[in-house]
Amino acid sequence: MAGIRIQNVTKSYGPLAVLKDFSLEIADGEFVVFVGPSGCGKSTMLKILAGLEEASSGTIHIGDRDVTDLAPGDRDIAMVFQNYALYPHLTVRKNMGFGLKMRGTPAAEIDRRVVEAARILGVDHLLDRRPRALSGGQRQRVALGRAIVREPQAFLMDEPLSNLDAKLRVHTRAEISALHKRLGVTTIYVTHDQIEAMTMADRIVIMKDGVIQQIADPDTMFRKPANLFVAGFIGSPGMNFLRSPVTSHEGRAAVRLFGQAVALPAPASLAGRDVVIGIRPEHIAQGAGPVTVEVAPRLVESLGSEKYIYIDVPEENRTTLARTGGTEEERRADTIIARLMNADETSTSGSLRVSFDPSRLHLFDANTQESIQL
Amino acid sequence: MKSRPLDRIFLYGSVIVVCGLLVFPIYWLFVTAISTPDQLRALPPKFWPETPRWEVFGQILRDRPILLWLSNSALAALGSVVLSMTVSVLAGYSLSRFRVRGGQSLGLFILTAKMLPATLLVIPLFGIFRTVDLIGSLWSIILAHATLIIPFTTWMLKGYFDTIPRELEQAAMVDGCSPFGAMVRVILPVSAPGLAATALYGFVLSWSDYAYARTFLTNAQSNWTANLGITTMKGEYISNWADISAASILVALPVLVIYLFLERYLVGGLTAGAEK
Repeated sequence: MAGIRIQNVTKSYGPLAVLKDFSLEIADGEFVVFVGPSGCGKSTMLKILAGLEEASSGTIHIGDRDVTDLAPGDRDIAMVFQNYALYPHLTVRKNMGFGLKMRGTPAAEIDRRVVEAARILGVDHLLDRRPRALSGGQRQRVALGRAIVREPQAFLMDEPLSNLDAKLRVHTRAEISALHKRLGVTTIYVTHDQIEAMTMADRIVIMKDGVIQQIADPDTMFRKPANLFVAGFIGSPGMNFLRSPVTSHEGRAAVRLFGQAVALPAPASLAGRDVVIGIRPEHIAQGAGPVTVEVAPRLVESLGSEKYIYIDVPEENRTTLARTGGTEEERRADTIIARLMNADETSTSGSLRVSFDPSRLHLFDANTQESIQL
Repeated sequence: MKSRPLDRIFLYGSVIVVCGLLVFPIYWLFVTAISTPDQLRALPPKFWPETPRWEVFGQILRDRPILLWLSNSALAALGSVVLSMTVSVLAGYSLSRFRVRGGQSLGLFILTAKMLPATLLVIPLFGIFRTVDLIGSLWSIILAHATLIIPFTTWMLKGYFDTIPRELEQAAMVDGCSPFGAMVRVILPVSAPGLAATALYGFVLSWSDYAYARTFLTNAQSNWTANLGITTMKGEYISNWADISAASILVALPVLVIYLFLERYLVGGLTAGAEK
């Protein structure tokens, strides 16, 4: 086991820069998740760490060793691929033992470690099968087994759950977290799914267009997003964005939302700045509160335990910023979503009274898109 | 969808007609081999001889150096296949995996060699082989066949390697293989069906060659291949078609046996299970 130090790594394909000055220190035993949309450079960074791609510049240290120019096999890391990449011509036993065999480990030792890893992952009854005779979940476990049997200094995982169905994904997610706690091996995990990132990571590295947007633990990432991109990416549904001019009111900054003046816990010096106001769907509550507005829901989605209420935004508060989300409805910029727990049946028709606490609002500079700390 | 009886009759009828067209020449070759010259000339033709001459096969094996010709053919075909596969595995893998400047044009350029008729190469090859003193040697047709086989097998293998996920060799490299080791230990075993198909293609092409053998080996009787040998059995005035047919069957048998042996590898699907 070892920490990992990535210093000023860049990667370009001709004029196209896919990684821009990536630096990160990962502590020994830490579980770090790289998250971001497709094409943000997270998988490229993982492949550079594995030695499968060459960095255009920068250095990588695993433990005390500079591995920048070492071959993948000499870096003492193990990787789990998105599509498992099991060797189809070998049995599960030989798949798992392949890396040890390449390193000249004695056969008895290989067998002992393969059996032990298979027992941990519950695939010990499948050792003599070939990958084609396994289900998706079993293949995924074998791929994990192939990694852990090597007892490497670090695990690299490239979207290992994305080929599993939703139910199995949740189950395996918990298993990987448990496995990490048990083995304590430094792990770098790549995903585009912010829920995986939030539930598994000790720290999240959120990326966009080859640039790190924020490095933080999941709670901080949720509570104090560094910029609009992070705010919109983390959380499900993503943060709602509203626009309003900032005015001064009784020595404090104030904005106008849903036709009401809302005093912010921020100095009056903000007045006149062009800002975007963010509010998380779960921070909108049903009934009266510090700021109460009467709205007419445009759409109500019930998930049983909670309801998503889609509310039209007044013209003056609309932004051009789209929320990140799965459905077209979720991405609409002229709508905000309220996530109401235990909402009444009556609340879903006609008008609805909702409220929010101004101290829960997030403020972002509309030009730089950076967060303004309140 | 439920098929109508008429569709099935048409389908099976078509299959029977096509199979009949394909199998009839082979059947007629066999009938010719075991018939006497009188029976061959009979009108209407007899579709099965009254007294089949089964001894014809043993007889031509005693009278003619068929086994020598067959072993020469086998040496030439195996040599061509080994040479071609060595070159085309490396070339096909490189074209599939590595981005080289002008790689695509290079690939197409290789293929243009296949577009030229084989006979076009006979004269330049003859000149080259005469210069390096290979005329009359089996090496001449091994090299000549390889020039025909390599362009096509390179492209066949490139196409096959393209279907194999890159993550397989990446996993092998993370497990400690060199890029070449990953190819040998993982990609080639997984490519067995593709390798078998291309090797078979090369073998059949070399085995069935006549033009190159006729040009490069005519003056070296001990190095004649089976196809060249059979043509010498045809006389200027009299030809024993039964013997020629029997020899032809003996020459065709090895390809049939090899095909049956490789058939299980020719069926794809070995990569199933590598991915999701």
